[in-house]
Amino acid sequence: MKGSYTRHFARDGADEAVQRPISFAMVKRLYHYSKAHRGLRNWLLVMVSLRAIQVPLVTWIITQIVVGPITQGKSEGVLWGVAGFVAFELFTEIVCVYRSRWALMFGEAIVHDLRNDLHRHIMSMPLSFFQRRKIGRFISRMTSDVDAVRTGVQDVVFVSFVQSGQALTAAVLMAYYDWKLFLLMLGMVPILWAITRYFRSRLMQAYRQVQESFSRVTVTLVESVTGIRVIQGFVREEFNGQLFEDLVADHSKYNMRVAKQTAALLPLLEFNGQLFLAIILVLGGAQVLDGDVSLATIIRFLFLSTLFFSAVPAIGGQYNNALTAMAGAERVFDLLDAKADWTDKPGATVLSSLEGRVEFRDVGFEYVPGRPVLRHVSFEVKAGQTVALVGPTGSGKSSMIKLIGRLYLPGSGSVFIDGHDSRDLDGQSLAHRVGTVPQDNFLFTGTVRENIRMSQPDASDAAVEEAVRSLGMWDLVNELPHGFDTQVGEGGGSLSLGQRQLICFARALLPDPKIIILDEATSSVDAVTEARLQLALQKLLHGRTSFVIAHRLSTIRHADIILVMSDGQIVERGQHAELVAQKGAYFELHRQFVGE
Amino acid sequence: MSAPQTLTDGLAAQSTSDSQVLLRLLKLAWRHRTRCLAVLGLQVVLLVLGVWGLSFGGLGVDVLRHHLEPAAPQPHWPLGLTPPAGLSTWQTLLALGGLILGMGLFRGFLNFAYSMQAGKLVHIEIVPAVRADVYAKLQRLSFRFFDAHASGSIINRVTRDVQLLRSFIDGVMINGIIMCLSLTLYAVYMISTHPWLTAASLVLSPVLWVVTHRFSKWAQPEYAKNRKLVDNMVLRIAEGTKGIQVVKVFGQEKEEHARFVAANHAVKEQQTAIFKAVSVYGPSVQFLSQMNVAVLLGYGGWLVSAGELSLGSLIVFVGLLQKFGEQVRSMATVVDTLQQSLSGARRVFEVLDADVEVQCPVDPVRPTQIQGGLKFERVSFGFGSEQAALTDLDFEVKPGQCVAILGGTGSGKSTLLSLLPRFYDPTAGRILLDGVDLRALDLDVLRRNVGVVFQESLLFSATIAENIAFGKPEASQADIERAAKVARAHDFIMALPEGYDSVLQEAATNLSGGQKQRIAIARAILLEPAILLLDDPTASVDPDTEHEVLEAVDSATKNRTTFIVAHRLSTLRRADIIFVLKEGRIVQRGTHAELMDQSGLYSRTARLQTGDSEELALIALGGVA
Repeated sequence: MKGSYTRHFARDGADEAVQRPISFAMVKRLYHYSKAHRGLRNWLLVMVSLRAIQVPLVTWIITQIVVGPITQGKSEGVLWGVAGFVAFELFTEIVCVYRSRWALMFGEAIVHDLRNDLHRHIMSMPLSFFQRRKIGRFISRMTSDVDAVRTGVQDVVFVSFVQSGQALTAAVLMAYYDWKLFLLMLGMVPILWAITRYFRSRLMQAYRQVQESFSRVTVTLVESVTGIRVIQGFVREEFNGQLFEDLVADHSKYNMRVAKQTAALLPLLEFNGQLFLAIILVLGGAQVLDGDVSLATIIRFLFLSTLFFSAVPAIGGQYNNALTAMAGAERVFDLLDAKADWTDKPGATVLSSLEGRVEFRDVGFEYVPGRPVLRHVSFEVKAGQTVALVGPTGSGKSSMIKLIGRLYLPGSGSVFIDGHDSRDLDGQSLAHRVGTVPQDNFLFTGTVRENIRMSQPDASDAAVEEAVRSLGMWDLVNELPHGFDTQVGEGGGSLSLGQRQLICFARALLPDPKIIILDEATSSVDAVTEARLQLALQKLLHGRTSFVIAHRLSTIRHADIILVMSDGQIVERGQHAELVAQKGAYFELHRQFVGE
Repeated sequence: MSAPQTLTDGLAAQSTSDSQVLLRLLKLAWRHRTRCLAVLGLQVVLLVLGVWGLSFGGLGVDVLRHHLEPAAPQPHWPLGLTPPAGLSTWQTLLALGGLILGMGLFRGFLNFAYSMQAGKLVHIEIVPAVRADVYAKLQRLSFRFFDAHASGSIINRVTRDVQLLRSFIDGVMINGIIMCLSLTLYAVYMISTHPWLTAASLVLSPVLWVVTHRFSKWAQPEYAKNRKLVDNMVLRIAEGTKGIQVVKVFGQEKEEHARFVAANHAVKEQQTAIFKAVSVYGPSVQFLSQMNVAVLLGYGGWLVSAGELSLGSLIVFVGLLQKFGEQVRSMATVVDTLQQSLSGARRVFEVLDADVEVQCPVDPVRPTQIQGGLKFERVSFGFGSEQAALTDLDFEVKPGQCVAILGGTGSGKSTLLSLLPRFYDPTAGRILLDGVDLRALDLDVLRRNVGVVFQESLLFSATIAENIAFGKPEASQADIERAAKVARAHDFIMALPEGYDSVLQEAATNLSGGQKQRIAIARAILLEPAILLLDDPTASVDPDTEHEVLEAVDSATKNRTTFIVAHRLSTLRRADIIFVLKEGRIVQRGTHAELMDQSGLYSRTARLQTGDSEELALIALGGVA
């Protein structure tokens, strides 16, 4: 059983490609994104071109001073040369300021636009889209993948441009001074390129393994900390300690793999420089002795070759970045291209007011084709009636309320709201007139006030307070450390369950909806809170058409209609007393419920 | 850097001084002295070879120049290594080329060895050992530690803080020594060639250092701010997608998008400020280093032209100056790393030094058979200086009895249960198990005999079988299945495609609440504990599957002393005795029938659940007397 922890981690994202070949279509799409910032892009190109020439020129100026005035013993010339060098160097660095600033800004601008587009697209997707996807994926699309693209647009193109420009300028200068010696050097480029590529790709793999093994370490750690009660309660300290040591050792192994690749790559690159120094000295020196070549040429080569060779691994690294950027871009655009299963019809009916009549006519529905969750459901509800939905888990209760809120469209049959087929309605106009209390009482990070106002962002403070007051929970909000301005932590963690639910009630009530959809929370709360919740609930539902997935007997008893669901169908309908008298499915549920 | 951490960890006050932490870190380094010395030794050899390599290149130029212009200065051979007189110029060059090549090769090997040694020091020796120590300690720490620290901060101590701690060894100590050595070596070599030229070309180095240091001081809070803004943006994505249903049901897609756009824009704005600074900083540093070169070229060039310095030496100077500048710039990094490593190390040491509050006695009682009789003698308990969580509990439970506990939020129900497996010890009074004080018993024996089912089931990402066998990893499949059958979990487990080998996802999202709780019950009873604690096991279970869990509870509690915290009538009425807790005191006790006859919290709660609306208004308005 030992070591099994490592086996079980099918980490999210492990199946995603790290690199993809460069694709023209992808480059074209990215180029399209640069159009909104074409001013920045074009100026950046100007700066980059300047840099490509300037850097070798700085080196060239130094060599000119060395081989010119210095070797020839002209002291005054040295000073003039140095003055020229300083002036040109200053100019170069000023260009560099704008070259790097604009590149960073350009990258950020594109990342910013991509993120906004991604978010807008995600928000416009229907709920079914989210059912199949993990939140972590959305986050990585908008962070790590977009950042890979950033490197692509901000570095790959421009750094490669500068580096190849530098190499080219250095090459031209060297070829001009001594083409034979230069050709010799050129022969070494493929070797250097191959070395860089080989190690880079191996490093990539190793880095990935480091990350994966580290996430195994953290997942175990998180579980150990959150589950410390279980660990100590079950006396697992030693066993877990051993497991953890194994995981850490596994992680070290991959860290060493990275260390080994780097340990080999860097000296190889350095050795290359040394090799070249030796070659220039020996072969170049021989030519100098023969009188074919001047000493000045040798000195120039010593300086310029460094510049030439440093470009090769740099461009190799950028090539690597380009492949990573392609993989990121591919995933980002895949998400952007994802099509919605359905959208509002063109010319959909915009509801300006709502009475609250709801009818299901022979409704069938399925999430997965071939596995229906609702079959032939028909019923009619008059404005202002309360409907309680009861039945075992998986009987289709929550699918039913999702159809009323039009989070999904029925597969067959129709749902009518005030006589309009839900397929013909404008989704937003309906959503603004239906109040919903979700089962998980989801709250957003922000204040209590902001959370209540979420359902109607233009509501005044007075309206928010009135909603709270009308639910009879004014004192509960005031009891919070900062009243309406109390911060609600991630997922509403700092509030009690009861408090969270009351805020959700107020949030649903604020726009004064004609239809209320409520999925009662299952968690039990203490008696006082429970009593207050029930009272607030009665106020919330009063005078509105309401659909409640009920877990409380009191809610069920007060309902005008109880729909008993089983296996996607309505098996019994009526009021509490009638249904109990029938001694059918409802009677059984009720008996289990009161625990008799 | 340390500001956000001190905010999250109340206890992380400067309990130990910098010098104490430093001393401990040095001790740690001493423990790994062999590898540390190997790393240092290799680096010293590499340094010397690097300088030589450079000087040979310059030498080559001088040899050539001297050959062409006999008037030029004599080549300056280092360490008195004059070549034999008979060698021609070309042969000398060949020898020099060979030397450079050979030394390059040698350096390559040494470099590889150096990186491997440094890697082993960090990744094999220090980090795993410290992590394992911290983790082992964490698991033994008492719950007060976990109550006092946010889980994120605890996790950081094992991951990030350990890395910070080790960065003292390689980032501060070794790098610092190498930095000093190389600066000295470069300076000595340069001074030995020409003292005045050295002084002139190094004159700008302090400025370089100040600029670097100032920038990193400015940048740190900016980067911290940036991380915060990015976190905020990620939070918007996470919440917008996690709460997508809420966004949709209220038709707030546009508003949610606007919030994201604002967060995204804030990141961009702040980034721009960083970009502006970074783009000025980089070129400024570059310009300063180039000014060093300018001084060198001007003054050095003048010396060469006047015949006071060889051309080769000047070229060597240019190379050395570059390396010198690199080291000066890395000085700022070493200083920053020192600060960070000290604060990281302090947090790690804090865990290692924390008291294990609940400990096994020196000479523990190890009963062979535990009956499960429990007696609370005037037990009180409080968390720190706060109001007591439990006051004066005094009761006795016979072996095999079932005790139900009812009470509002914060009434002390869960705390009462926590005292039994000694997650905490009472602050006054004592608890006797079969007549023996819990504190006299062997801790492992006690805990193995107290099975706990928590409110949230807390299952782990492993197979179902491994989860059930959590307290006894060597349990046989038959044992596991037996426990699962008692917990009424066997049937649904077998219905899963992979049965007992089904892997639970993080937080076991692939199971229903009732299924998770039944696995948790199986896990608790696999050890055949004499005492079973159930902390509101149906709290997060759908009412329509609640009876499944209750059936499991019924069969699991047979012949065991059981404590069960419950709200629902269906659970409460099963108990032999019911305690009603309020503000840490028992306010009512008795059987269901007895308590129903009394007017009090119990009967009110009961009526509330049967849907009596008059009672509802009364409780809500008057509160509970």
